[in-house]
Amino acid sequence: MTDKTLTIGSTVALPKPELDLLMADLRNNGFQTVGPHLQDESIVYKEIAGLKDLPRGITTEQTPASFRMIQTGKERYFDFIPGSQSWKQFLFPPSHLLFSAVKEGKWQLKENDEPAPHYALIGVRACELAAIGIQDKVFLRDDFSDPIYRHRREGLFILAVNCLDPDATCFCASMGTGPRHTGGFDLCLTELDDVFLVEVGSELGRSLLSARNFELPLAFVQNTANQAMERAAHSMVRSMDTSDLPGLLTGNLDAERWMEIGKRCLSCANCTQVCPTCFCWNATDQVDILGKATRRERLWDSCFNPNYSYVVGGNTRPNIRSRYRQWLTHKLGTWKDQFGVLGCVGCGRCITWCPAGIDLTEEVAAIRAEVLA
Amino acid sequence: MTTTLINTAAHSAGYANKLLLPHWAEIVKIIPEAEGVSTFHLKFTDPEVQSRYHFEPGQFNMLYIPGYGEAAISMSSDLETANGLLVHTIRHIGNVTKAANRLKVGDVVGIRGPFGTSWPLDAIEGMDVVIACGGIGLPPLRGAIYQIIRNREKYGKITLLYGARTPADLMYPSEYETWQKAGFDMQVTVDRGDDTWTGRVGVVPMWFYHFRVDPHKTAILTCGPEIMMRFVIYEALARRIPSDHIYISLERNMKCGQGACGHCQQGPYFICKDGPVFPFRALENIFNVEEY
Amino acid sequence: MVPEEDIKSALRKVPWFDNLTPEHFNKTAEMSQLRHAKAGEIFFHEGDKQDYVYIVLEGRVSLDIFVPHHGKVRFYTAEPNDVFGWSSVTPSVRQRTAGAMAVLDSIVVCIDAEKLRQFADEDHDFGYLLMRRLTNVVASRLMITRLQLIDMFAGPTEQKND
Repeated sequence: MTDKTLTIGSTVALPKPELDLLMADLRNNGFQTVGPHLQDESIVYKEIAGLKDLPRGITTEQTPASFRMIQTGKERYFDFIPGSQSWKQFLFPPSHLLFSAVKEGKWQLKENDEPAPHYALIGVRACELAAIGIQDKVFLRDDFSDPIYRHRREGLFILAVNCLDPDATCFCASMGTGPRHTGGFDLCLTELDDVFLVEVGSELGRSLLSARNFELPLAFVQNTANQAMERAAHSMVRSMDTSDLPGLLTGNLDAERWMEIGKRCLSCANCTQVCPTCFCWNATDQVDILGKATRRERLWDSCFNPNYSYVVGGNTRPNIRSRYRQWLTHKLGTWKDQFGVLGCVGCGRCITWCPAGIDLTEEVAAIRAEVLA
Repeated sequence: MTTTLINTAAHSAGYANKLLLPHWAEIVKIIPEAEGVSTFHLKFTDPEVQSRYHFEPGQFNMLYIPGYGEAAISMSSDLETANGLLVHTIRHIGNVTKAANRLKVGDVVGIRGPFGTSWPLDAIEGMDVVIACGGIGLPPLRGAIYQIIRNREKYGKITLLYGARTPADLMYPSEYETWQKAGFDMQVTVDRGDDTWTGRVGVVPMWFYHFRVDPHKTAILTCGPEIMMRFVIYEALARRIPSDHIYISLERNMKCGQGACGHCQQGPYFICKDGPVFPFRALENIFNVEEY
Repeated sequence: MVPEEDIKSALRKVPWFDNLTPEHFNKTAEMSQLRHAKAGEIFFHEGDKQDYVYIVLEGRVSLDIFVPHHGKVRFYTAEPNDVFGWSSVTPSVRQRTAGAMAVLDSIVVCIDAEKLRQFADEDHDFGYLLMRRLTNVVASRLMITRLQLIDMFAGPTEQKND
């Protein structure tokens, strides 16, 4: 008789079909399961019902300005590296109704009291969980707590997955965020050909997993997983040297390189929209034609948008070079002053999805070379 | 760098958990000030909100006009002088502020605030004070002017340098006499005058050419176009006034007032929460960086 | 005519004459007169060939330029210790490029610019000091003119660029 009691920190082997049942349990417990799904020739994050909605047998090849998917035919669900979307869209919705106002004599406000959904995120990578950790610092502070984010974050179930096959745009190892999870999840998967290894991270995770038909893993299985994770960490071709950040950037606002980047950057804002930590937002009124009813919404914004830094009398950053400089010196510089950490997790999305193929690791290295020259 | 920022922002209207949700305030009075500028006196429609609302001069409110959006507007008075009303002098120049120009007494607007840091009226006690402002930069200082007058004995020489485009653009001219009677040296200057203008023509920073300041006991409070403040700061620093005795109020695009939306960042600061009033020492490395 | 001692004591109050040697100071005083002007009194008109450089002791003097369709535009006022009519000191400008009028009752020092130039030519030590101080005047005027040119208080639609 074996002891199948789970505790936090336990690792067990879970036959792949059991994950389907685990997701069903999550939904039965009031969670909306969202996860990766093959759509629009890419991988998006959306509501999924179970294993069948996951991108089975797909790997990705990501390079600057390029995202390709390749069919492997394998019975594996998490071989790909995520696409442009990140979990940010569930915690910090791209558009959200704050309140509506109606003029009936005087203006009356109606708050948006729709309850926040309880999401279960299926397949969160280590860099992505680190990004959620960074956004926690941005949105949940002593002096300001974002109610929209907080309600979603409090009810969040995180099913993490360790990355075993990083793409060429990944550099999480050098940012210290991945590819292996170190905590902060409810359950964490490592996918092998035949089975998932699952680590328990929370009471809820333990309870859900207890109801599943898991097995206790043998040394061979655990070694295989460990070796795969080890390989992943050493296979990353990109890296960011953070040793002289943030000073390298904040102390060299007049570097020539900014001018040079300004010629290539299109100010399309893609990098900020795909970034899992970028948090800027705008608020706008959607008003009816009579001007008697309005909906006030919060929308994602970007420091690359020309209106972003508009003040009466002009734009404080009229040139693209100064917008790029703002983005990078914030992300890898002043972010630390504001929130105690750098704002980059090394996921590489901004490199893959930049139409001009601008690579921030290369830009930081170029600024370093210029300064040291 | 050991600069301490002064943040007295108590979110006294209490809505920390309600993102961008304003309180309604009724327009009690509208005073035309100059071409395209008017002053609104506002009172919260909810007496409970009104009674717990407090602010310090230099702070600002987000003013919401349904259908148009919000604009950050400085307090243009202090609570004592305005009998507890909110006073906002508004230049009708942007989308929201132009809409404000079409409002009438009795209409309501949304208010969130107060936000940001205030003028350091305690820290500069005992000093000579040079208030250097231009255009719509006077209203954010008017509350400070009232408080200095009310506590006149706590301060040394007070000089008020005020610049405007033309004599017709000068704000609150009926109050200058009171300010002078309180011992303010009023130096009003315009960019261009006509035959009837007997005042100064020139720019605010040139005052420093003709007057001597004691650098050890002089504080500067400046608000106005950034280019004007830049030259005021050059002149003040050239006269060896320490950078932590120069206080500057900055303007940036703001959507939240709580350091959340990201728009108003300059360097490490969120101007809405760490400012708008800064000791210049905190900005030394970033203020003159082009387009930063 | 004001007695010579009055001129000297007046000049001593002007920082512009600080640190002149007694010889230079006396020589400058010899070329100078005091003028008491009532508000509205004209010192010179645009186009005049009059040849003085002025220093305001008290009051306020306006500088105006006539702009067709706009009338007189006042672009500068000289305050106490300010210099106006400075272009007379340069060797080539002989015509007034603006008009000057007392807007308040004023006292000004009028220095004969021809004599001043002549003395500067003869005594380069004096000439250097004069030109150095004049450069300060010109630099401050340029700074002020630049700030006015920027039209910093104008609304976005009134501003030229953008």
